[in-house]
Amino acid sequence: MSEIVLRDVTKYFGSVHALDGISLEVAPGELVALLGPSGCGKTTLLRSVAGLLQPDSGQILIGGKDVTGMPTRERPIGMVSQSYALFPNMTLRNNIAFPLVVRNVPASEITRRVSELLDLVQLDAQADRYPKQVSAGQQQRTALVRALAPQPDVLLLDEPLSALDALVRHQLRDEIRRIQQAVRTTTIFVTHDQSEAMAIADRVAVMHRGRIEQIARPPELYDRPGTPFSAAFVGSRNALELPVRDGQVSLGSAFAVRPPAGSGIRVVIFFRPEDVEIITDGRGHPATLEVKIFLGATTRLHLVTDVDGKQARIYADVPSRQAASLEPGSTLGIRVDPANVRVFSVEG
Amino acid sequence: MSAARLPRILSSVMFGALALYLILPMLAVLIYSLARRWTATILPDGYTVQYWISALQDPRLFGAFVRSVVLAGATVAIDVLVVVPATYWAYVRNRRIRIIAEMAAVVPFALPWVAIAFGILLLSGRFAPALLGTPLLLMLAYAAVHFPFLYWAVDGAMAAADVVALSEAAETCGATPLQIIRRVVVPNITGGVVSGGILVFASSFGEFALVQMLVGGSFETVPLWSADALRATLGKFPELAVITFTTFMVLFVLSAILVFGTGAQTIRLLPGARAVEQRR
Ligand SMILES: Nc1ncnc2c1ncn2[C@@H]1O[C@H](COP(=O)(O)OP(=O)(O)OP(=O)(O)O)[C@@H](O)[C@H]1O
Ligand SMILES: [Mg+2]
Repeated sequence: MSEIVLRDVTKYFGSVHALDGISLEVAPGELVALLGPSGCGKTTLLRSVAGLLQPDSGQILIGGKDVTGMPTRERPIGMVSQSYALFPNMTLRNNIAFPLVVRNVPASEITRRVSELLDLVQLDAQADRYPKQVSAGQQQRTALVRALAPQPDVLLLDEPLSALDALVRHQLRDEIRRIQQAVRTTTIFVTHDQSEAMAIADRVAVMHRGRIEQIARPPELYDRPGTPFSAAFVGSRNALELPVRDGQVSLGSAFAVRPPAGSGIRVVIFFRPEDVEIITDGRGHPATLEVKIFLGATTRLHLVTDVDGKQARIYADVPSRQAASLEPGSTLGIRVDPANVRVFSVEG
Repeated sequence: MSAARLPRILSSVMFGALALYLILPMLAVLIYSLARRWTATILPDGYTVQYWISALQDPRLFGAFVRSVVLAGATVAIDVLVVVPATYWAYVRNRRIRIIAEMAAVVPFALPWVAIAFGILLLSGRFAPALLGTPLLLMLAYAAVHFPFLYWAVDGAMAAADVVALSEAAETCGATPLQIIRRVVVPNITGGVVSGGILVFASSFGEFALVQMLVGGSFETVPLWSADALRATLGKFPELAVITFTTFMVLFVLSAILVFGTGAQTIRLLPGARAVEQRR
């Protein structure tokens, strides 16, 4: 049985369709990442599960129980918002104790549980400081264990890492995963960062304009995006619109593939930068190297090429050793394995 | 001279000038209350504590002082009890009623006192004639007329503390509305309550027009006594200086204790200040 079930949940803000018939099931102990661009409805979805706002229609179940009309405080949830919202008038220790205090848990039990949680995130030394007196990462960890303190059935995290710098963000991402695996709390994790979603989640739900476009395990989503939107959003793919000729779609001699049945006269094709092969012996589709961007082990090439009579930019990731010999301004050949090309018919 | 020191000196000069501007009138009042005779010279001819003794021993003046303090204190209490929960509600639960609160807050400043006093008399005569001419009506009228100071201060404090996010967080922690107000909202807006409360107290203490028109001489407050003292027949100018100085000191010390005691931050009081506030 699923721990969290959403059935056809809809929410309008005036004329904005923030949630457009969302259905989602999350298994017990599972971590699902909600991935999507700004304004696609991630926060609205999370707040509906928390009961902070009321959907216009649809049903929300937690642990098999319909909670659609239930007030927030009665739902078995813990939540971390983007701003953490720690109580400035309380020390970290009292922040973590708050959910237990309002539930009238006995004092000795609170002391025990809070020190256990402080231990879990290594905050013992800062426990008696106020939120303003600790770093952003420490605030984030406090917010996380405050949400976990009452041992909720469901943990809701709204972009919990977006306010942190890159190094701390990666550390905390792994720490959230470690803690979530340890306590096995069913979790919805909102993010607009695809690599964060891939790294942390059991399954990733790609959201677009109030809908869930695709929900899949990270490798599957990465290799086989189900819609043009998830193809473009996940894996930062190259996207090109091409005509269908003689039942085939091709980019010069770079690749030729068959479009899906029922496609119109134009299709959109996607391929990842790391699947672009660079050939220097004169074969392949000609492209001019514009810029090289060194990324460490790989180098990203910005290539300009002729696509269906127009200039288009294509990105390619190649091993940095190979890129060293390529000169900006020179003409190279490109090729893409047809197995790595995704084709979608043009919408509407 | 280093670049950093120039603004320091400038700010000291500005502060000194402002302090002088504020202190001089009070100093003049103090000297006048202690002067034997002070007419054509820069400083008085001689000093005496005679007027202080007579003023503080005057039962009529003492009575007026006590009535003023109690009235102003009660007004603050009513306003805090009504305005804080109402502002919370308007701020967190139903932002649409904010427009009503904003408009209500402008009324006492937009209408002339006569119109307000007459309106209150009319309303009371219609719905609660028993209240006419009583201190209770005066207290309710004060609360109604002086609440904007508290409303603006509390509203500003709620914006500064991001009370919406805090109460939502408290809700997801399982807290009831009462627990949220008591443990999360109130502790984070004390600065606003204190600075707004002081303004309500001060403006109620100094209120003249309403008390004159609603109850008149039957409930003499310090401003009424002062008006009387100014009339030539009474001619109690030095005593007036005594009570003015005393009132000022009481308010000043009260403000200082409250502001330092609660660690209150300065709250933007003016309605326009919220236009630049950050909302999520
Ligand atoms: N209270 C509100 N009133 C009106 N419109 C709203 C409200 N909350 C959200 N919206 C609109 O609903 C849509 C979805 O908003 P939501 O906050 O859920 O997006 P999001 O995916 O969380 O975006 P972000 O990544 O920027 O946080 C947006 O178009 C937003 O402008
Ligand atoms: Mg959001």
